[in-house]
Amino acid sequence: MTRFAKLFFWFLVLVLLLWQLPWAVNYLLVQSRNTPFTLYSEVLDDFVMIRHTSDKEVEYRDRAGNEYTRRAFDSLLPLFYARQLTADGRFPDSVAGRPVTLREAQIASFIFRSAPKDLNRPAPGLHFLLESMSGRVDLAMPSDAFRLTDRGIEFIDMATNRIDTAKSGRFTRMLLRKGCRFPVRELSGNPSARKEYDEGYLLLDADGGLFHLKMMQGRPYVRAVDVPGELRLRHLFLTEFRSRRTLAFLTDESHRLHVLTMPGYGIRRVEGVTFDPERESMTIVGTLFNWTVCVDGASAERYYAVSADDFSLLDTLSYPLSERRIPGLSFTSSSDRYVKPRFR
Amino acid sequence: MEPVIECRHLTHCYGRRKIYEDLSFDVPRGRILGLLGKNGTGKTTTINILSGYLEPRSGECLIFGENIRTLTPQTRRRIALLIEGHVQYQFMTIEQIERFYAAFYPAWNRDAYYGLMEKLQVAPGQRISRMSCGQRSQVALGLILAQNADLLVLDDFSMGLDPGYRRLFVEYLREFAKAEGKTVFLTSHIIQDMERLIDDCIIMDYGRILVQMPVGDLLRTFRRYSFRCPDDARLPSGEGFYHPAVVRGRGELCSFASPEEVRFRLEEAGIPCEGFTAETLNLEDAFIGLTGKY
Amino acid sequence: MWKALLYKEWIKTRWYLLLALSVTLGFAGYALLKLHRAVALTGAGHIWEVMVTRNAVFIDQMQYVPLLAGLALAAVQYLPEVHRKCLKLTLHLPVPALATLGVMLAFGVAVLAVLFGLGIVLLAAGARPLLAPELVGNILHAALPWYLAGVAGYLLGAWTILEPTWKRRILCLLMSVLLLRLFFLAPVSRAYGGFLAVLALLSLCAASLSWLSVVRFMAGRQD
Repeated sequence: MTRFAKLFFWFLVLVLLLWQLPWAVNYLLVQSRNTPFTLYSEVLDDFVMIRHTSDKEVEYRDRAGNEYTRRAFDSLLPLFYARQLTADGRFPDSVAGRPVTLREAQIASFIFRSAPKDLNRPAPGLHFLLESMSGRVDLAMPSDAFRLTDRGIEFIDMATNRIDTAKSGRFTRMLLRKGCRFPVRELSGNPSARKEYDEGYLLLDADGGLFHLKMMQGRPYVRAVDVPGELRLRHLFLTEFRSRRTLAFLTDESHRLHVLTMPGYGIRRVEGVTFDPERESMTIVGTLFNWTVCVDGASAERYYAVSADDFSLLDTLSYPLSERRIPGLSFTSSSDRYVKPRFR
Repeated sequence: MEPVIECRHLTHCYGRRKIYEDLSFDVPRGRILGLLGKNGTGKTTTINILSGYLEPRSGECLIFGENIRTLTPQTRRRIALLIEGHVQYQFMTIEQIERFYAAFYPAWNRDAYYGLMEKLQVAPGQRISRMSCGQRSQVALGLILAQNADLLVLDDFSMGLDPGYRRLFVEYLREFAKAEGKTVFLTSHIIQDMERLIDDCIIMDYGRILVQMPVGDLLRTFRRYSFRCPDDARLPSGEGFYHPAVVRGRGELCSFASPEEVRFRLEEAGIPCEGFTAETLNLEDAFIGLTGKY
Repeated sequence: MWKALLYKEWIKTRWYLLLALSVTLGFAGYALLKLHRAVALTGAGHIWEVMVTRNAVFIDQMQYVPLLAGLALAAVQYLPEVHRKCLKLTLHLPVPALATLGVMLAFGVAVLAVLFGLGIVLLAAGARPLLAPELVGNILHAALPWYLAGVAGYLLGAWTILEPTWKRRILCLLMSVLLLRLFFLAPVSRAYGGFLAVLALLSLCAASLSWLSVVRFMAGRQD
């Protein structure tokens, strides 16, 4: 026992040192990263960036290195800064030769974010399906929650904490009838009443089939989406942007990014963009003309400019990350919500 | 007679401070042995090594033939231990602690314990933590006696006891040990008590054993000699003469040597032994004679 | 003999156990009461929504209660042993020292298991009428590492208290604090997954550390 206890003691010492020492050194030495905020300018047809310098000044530049004043910089991104330009009375009638209105610019703009820790986490197990067509202006949270089982969908009335068998049956039958095979692999929705409209959920079934599930006037709406034969979908992100042009972003097994467009449930690949949602975080700043896609990878922060019309790649930019950290043991991570030992 | 305790070549230090080196002694069966020494000579160290709560730097101790570092429970059952300060579980009552210990010792003598407790004037349900220091000591001693062990190791047994109870305990312990053939190894800082109790003594000085012998022999053969002598005389020292000193015209020394031999050696050294006297001593004086006043 | 060893632990801890039982169950009960009141006030729907979308478990106020219960049990059981080196008496009993220590630690772990088991049963039984099994599971999974921290805290506390020297005791304390942090890292319920089983195993292994302290005590280590 003495030998075991001694071994165990030294094992603990080792674990604690591997955990605490690198942490302390990294905490003291590693500086926070300082990559500039970058967007694609529809005026310059190139990337422009805002950088916070070490003496707390803000620099506005384009890729060529030209510096701009704050005011001039706003004009480089007329769609992104549409409200500011309108307030200044400087919003142009047309951008890059195309007539635009403030309303168009506002409706088309969106910001989308995805972080690994939102995917890599224990599944909540319960979800809320809102009424999409209540006839009221405001959305409301439902009085029941649902879970997905191996055999179907189950609605539980929250006030009584009992399963609503009738509703569960209706929805399960409809899903089955549309060809959905349980258990469902993944689902994506934004269960909140604080949005403009509700598109329910997108489901990836046991066979990799894609389904759109909504509740309309209490009845199930299920739509099987045609997925091209060679496409193996992996992750779904229901968007619910104001423009209603997209229903979701999708990634496949090869980490390619796709858009589910509306109306018509078309799946279009976003050219050139790779994104592994389980490891990388992504931000898309969308305007009427283009999207700036920023993927925060392990070795570089990659920027893609994508045409908002046909999702073709306009330009790319990459900031290599030279983060030097001492490897060590840790139990939590910024890219997931699990507690487990990991050495990195 | 086979020894109950055998200590061989004990060496111990605390950090760089050496307590003793190469210390060896035996305690024979059925004897009551007292360990005497001034503070800091290693009495407690020895008791701690003997009770298994100190690993000596080198050397070994055997009790009933077993190394004390690997004593079996069966052998430990034959040893009663009174630890420094008469410590006992303070959270227990007189009854609870008796019930607790009784479960471990088949030869448990309940009557011996309660016999002593009756003299205490405390309620059986009283917690030990609520007792006076002397009462606690008596509880600890009562438990030691009830255990009916073959070897008793008592560290400073007289601490905290009032004179009457001390006398009573000394008499009780001696009678008990002699009647049952128990071996006792003890220390006490009150040497008068020891004289009444112990058969043999070990007197320790810094780093070594000065004497180990039956107390009777010590008291019979160890003498203090005094004689008139000039203040500047140089008394012979070493070899058998303990702490020779001249104070205000009188020389004084202690020795196991006979008066004739002492006188001869003094005269040989040119000391006129006028008014030469020799006296035997009690244990306390003998102890001081051997170890010095300082 | 074994009964006598347990008897001693019982005498030391019985009043404390009553207190620990009422405090741990009291906190769990209070958390449940608050949950029931919240449901009555805002409706079950709101509570379910908060639990699903914001990872709320409504029992955060009892987070450190099991840990404190475990640490206090270690103090109640082992401070009397090290007080004036009473441990010498315990280790002198005619029982192998390892077995004596094992009985003492097993008593503590068993007592905590009963105490925490009752807490878990109370939480489950109290929340089930209001919440779906998933949400009850969330509550229990959030509480599980905290309860385990109680057991680990007890064993690490025993190690630290039994350690004979102050220098080493400070090291024990430092290591214990860091190790106990491991039980309070969950950003969401169910975050530990299989690692909780590993932690449970490591916690039980921590019982062996107390033996190191006892070995050091028997070797006479001191400051």
